[in-house]
Amino acid sequence: MANRAPMLRIGQQDLKCRQGCGFYGNTQFDGLCSKCFRERNDKQRKRLLIVTEKATEDNNDNIPSGPSSIAERRSPQHLLSLGRGKKQPETSQVESPSTMPKKKSIVPAVLQKTLKGKFPAVTNQQQQQQQQQPQQKRVPTATENQFMLQLRQMRLPDDAKHKLKSEIKRLDHEIRKYMNTNNAKNVDELSDLVQNAYTRFSNVVHNDPRFEMASSEDRDSAIDFFEKVIMTQNHNLLFSPYFTSDEESDVKVQKRIRQLSWITAKHLDCSIDEVNAEARDLVYNAISELVGIDSYYSPQEKLLCTVRCCRHIFELLKRATGGPASADDFLPALIFVVLKANPVRLHSNLNFVNRFTNASRVMSGEGGYYFTNLCSAIAFIENLNGESLSISAEEFDALMSGEQAFSTPWESALLACESLHLISENMKCMELLQKRNSMINTGITDFERELIDFQREVTEKVDTVMAKAPLTLLPIKTPAFLIKQARAHLAQDSVEAAMGHYQSNLLSGALSQHALSPKSKDIALEDAHNLTLKDTSINSVGRLSPLLQNQPQQQDQLFASPIFNYTPFDAVSLLEESSDGDVMMLGTEFQGGLTNINYDFDLSDQSGDNSVADESKLNLDEFDPLVQRPVATATPLLDTTTDSLIDCDVPGTAVLLPSPLKPEVANYRGFSNFDIPSISCNTGDFSSLGQDVNETMETNKK
Amino acid sequence: MSSRRTRSGPTLNFKAVLLGEGCVGKTSLVLRYMEDKFNTQHLSTLQASFVTKKVTLPDERRAQLNIWDTAGQERFHALGPIYYRGSDGALLVYDITDQDSFQKVKSWVRELKQMRGSEIALIIVGNKTDLEEQRAIEYETAQRYAQTVGAQYVETSAKENEGVSELFELLTQLMVEHHVQKQQPNDTNNTHSNSNSNTSNALRLQSSSNAAGGAISIADDAEHDDDENENNGGAAHRSCCGI
Repeated sequence: MANRAPMLRIGQQDLKCRQGCGFYGNTQFDGLCSKCFRERNDKQRKRLLIVTEKATEDNNDNIPSGPSSIAERRSPQHLLSLGRGKKQPETSQVESPSTMPKKKSIVPAVLQKTLKGKFPAVTNQQQQQQQQQPQQKRVPTATENQFMLQLRQMRLPDDAKHKLKSEIKRLDHEIRKYMNTNNAKNVDELSDLVQNAYTRFSNVVHNDPRFEMASSEDRDSAIDFFEKVIMTQNHNLLFSPYFTSDEESDVKVQKRIRQLSWITAKHLDCSIDEVNAEARDLVYNAISELVGIDSYYSPQEKLLCTVRCCRHIFELLKRATGGPASADDFLPALIFVVLKANPVRLHSNLNFVNRFTNASRVMSGEGGYYFTNLCSAIAFIENLNGESLSISAEEFDALMSGEQAFSTPWESALLACESLHLISENMKCMELLQKRNSMINTGITDFERELIDFQREVTEKVDTVMAKAPLTLLPIKTPAFLIKQARAHLAQDSVEAAMGHYQSNLLSGALSQHALSPKSKDIALEDAHNLTLKDTSINSVGRLSPLLQNQPQQQDQLFASPIFNYTPFDAVSLLEESSDGDVMMLGTEFQGGLTNINYDFDLSDQSGDNSVADESKLNLDEFDPLVQRPVATATPLLDTTTDSLIDCDVPGTAVLLPSPLKPEVANYRGFSNFDIPSISCNTGDFSSLGQDVNETMETNKK
Repeated sequence: MSSRRTRSGPTLNFKAVLLGEGCVGKTSLVLRYMEDKFNTQHLSTLQASFVTKKVTLPDERRAQLNIWDTAGQERFHALGPIYYRGSDGALLVYDITDQDSFQKVKSWVRELKQMRGSEIALIIVGNKTDLEEQRAIEYETAQRYAQTVGAQYVETSAKENEGVSELFELLTQLMVEHHVQKQQPNDTNNTHSNSNSNTSNALRLQSSSNAAGGAISIADDAEHDDDENENNGGAAHRSCCGI
């Protein structure tokens, strides 16, 4: 064909096949060469055939697609004229010239004739394809498919089915025509149009010879089907039409119901137990059915939904009253459910059913009765006032305006649930806390017991260790020559006695020590010069306390602190100057006596060999008022060696001059209840201090 | 759909409403009627507010009786028109021991007459005859009133099952009569009624279908019904005297 195609006066490129195969193209072939065109055509045709086959088949059953499909079967001519005006004029050869020029605009006029004559078949085919396009676009929806299936399943003769289809198309067409006219529209007119169609169809079903064979059930189902298809397909047109005030009413009712949210079952005198969970479930079921009305297209389905809703309510009432419920119980319950559900587009739905369902449906039967009840429930809600709820008008107004809060059992039940939940949560929390608390308590007691055990253990250990390794204080090692010297000194110089207590004390101490050393052998185990502090108990402290040691002592043993260079207040102290000098002199002289005191508590072993005091340190400590304790520890050594350190009964001077190295029990309690005795230095009045010590000890004990 | 062509076994579809104050025994009447007819098997149904009953008329035609109970509380009084819209008959029930309920019936009658004119079959029912000693409204008073408004008067006792089935038979009969009467003018009036608002939808349907059906045969049936009722005797004779 390409060879035969004209090639004059046109640019070579324009004539080539668009596919680029090298052959010449033809405008009739969409600018393709014949071969490419045929290939493409075949492909398209195959695809189309599958689709159109289905589409046409569907169309035949597909009612709202227009009257075309049935007519098509009878007369193809009729088909196109009846079509929705979208279809192209029939593709007969007569009409082809009218369509050709558009396409041939680039083809030279010379060729037109030949083209016309030569490719009528092709054009026809092409036209048919184009014609099929709009049909193809109408893909039947799921609902349409369902209707087709239903129609096929109907037990009606084919003739009757065709009649049914054509009737449906007729009404469909009428509705669309009415909706498309520019006249002022009245919904009642539309309703009458539909109702008349129902009547007409009902007559047809009952009188038409084509329905002769059908049973009465089949006729009913045909009528139902008629209505259902029409209503579903035209739902968008007929539901709440724009020229009605349905939507405004919807909003109004919805708002009103929202305002009436405080209404309870009690107000309506209905026997719904709002607190009962089972009853509440049924109410919820009823509510969901009621809300579901809006989701259905056809009036029948909406009515069915209403019936289901009402059955739930009857179930509810039967449980509440124990017998079949009467209208006296039912209507208030229905009103209550409507109020609680507040369904959307209530008015639109009711009006839609009222206007466009087969009138007999709402006038009889269960669905009709319930629907009527629903309508009256809405009417009641719309005209509700205080009187109809048996409350005063003022109260009603207050409740409506929201001035007066009303706690309905419904809400309070919810609230109660909420608070109960909260309570149980809190209880759980408290329980947990209690458990923890008791755990802590037992932990505390355990810990206490452990502490006590630990204390006992430690004390025992300390005791055993103490027993094993008693504190050994080594006595001052006074060189014999010094003692001799001192003795000589004392004997010689009578004045010296009055010189200073310090020196004399020291001397006398040293002397007595020396003298008493055999006695102390009983106590000191190893060395006659050693004092052993065996006991760390309080008693020992008490024993160490100068107050408790009332043994007669040399008053000279009371000495002032060498550190503070204490001057006694007695008459002798008047000779301060000289004594000072003496002190210094004697200090140097007898220093060794002081510093030779072994301060070590030898706990590791009982040999006194290693317990030589650190001289340099002691020398420093000696003059440091803050480091008194090591020095003080030495005091009981003197004490015990003499077996009586301080005497309460010592004369005035002695009292006024307390021991600078007075043993004292520290406040330290350690980790046991036992007071571990420690000895501290006290430079104050020792007599009063002794008491203090005892007191503090007692308080510590407590 | 309310009537079919005679040859396919026509079913007349009648709708009757039960009106009356609360506690006068509307529901009891219905339950008694259903119970007697169906031996309690229908009592197992959930509710007593809506019952349908297929009855066979004396001329072998079937009719379906829809009885709609209404809420009797005063607060729902205004909703009445929604219920009796398109109904063929109304039972106005009152308690013979309760003067108020009788006054209520009067108000219902006025309303029905105003709304439906003579299109509706009215039966005034004095219930609770078992409480004869407490009677507040005399039989004659009610009877006279019923005659003045063009209604039938029946006394029943749902408790003792007196006059209940007769009541419903009378109701059916009256509705059939009204049905026949309506046909004649409606044959020519068909288009007019169609242009009316929704309230006349049922009526329109009935009339249009009846146009196709046999008007004469129904009229004949009605006569048969009368005979039947008279033969039945019992309490029915009382009610029939008003015809």
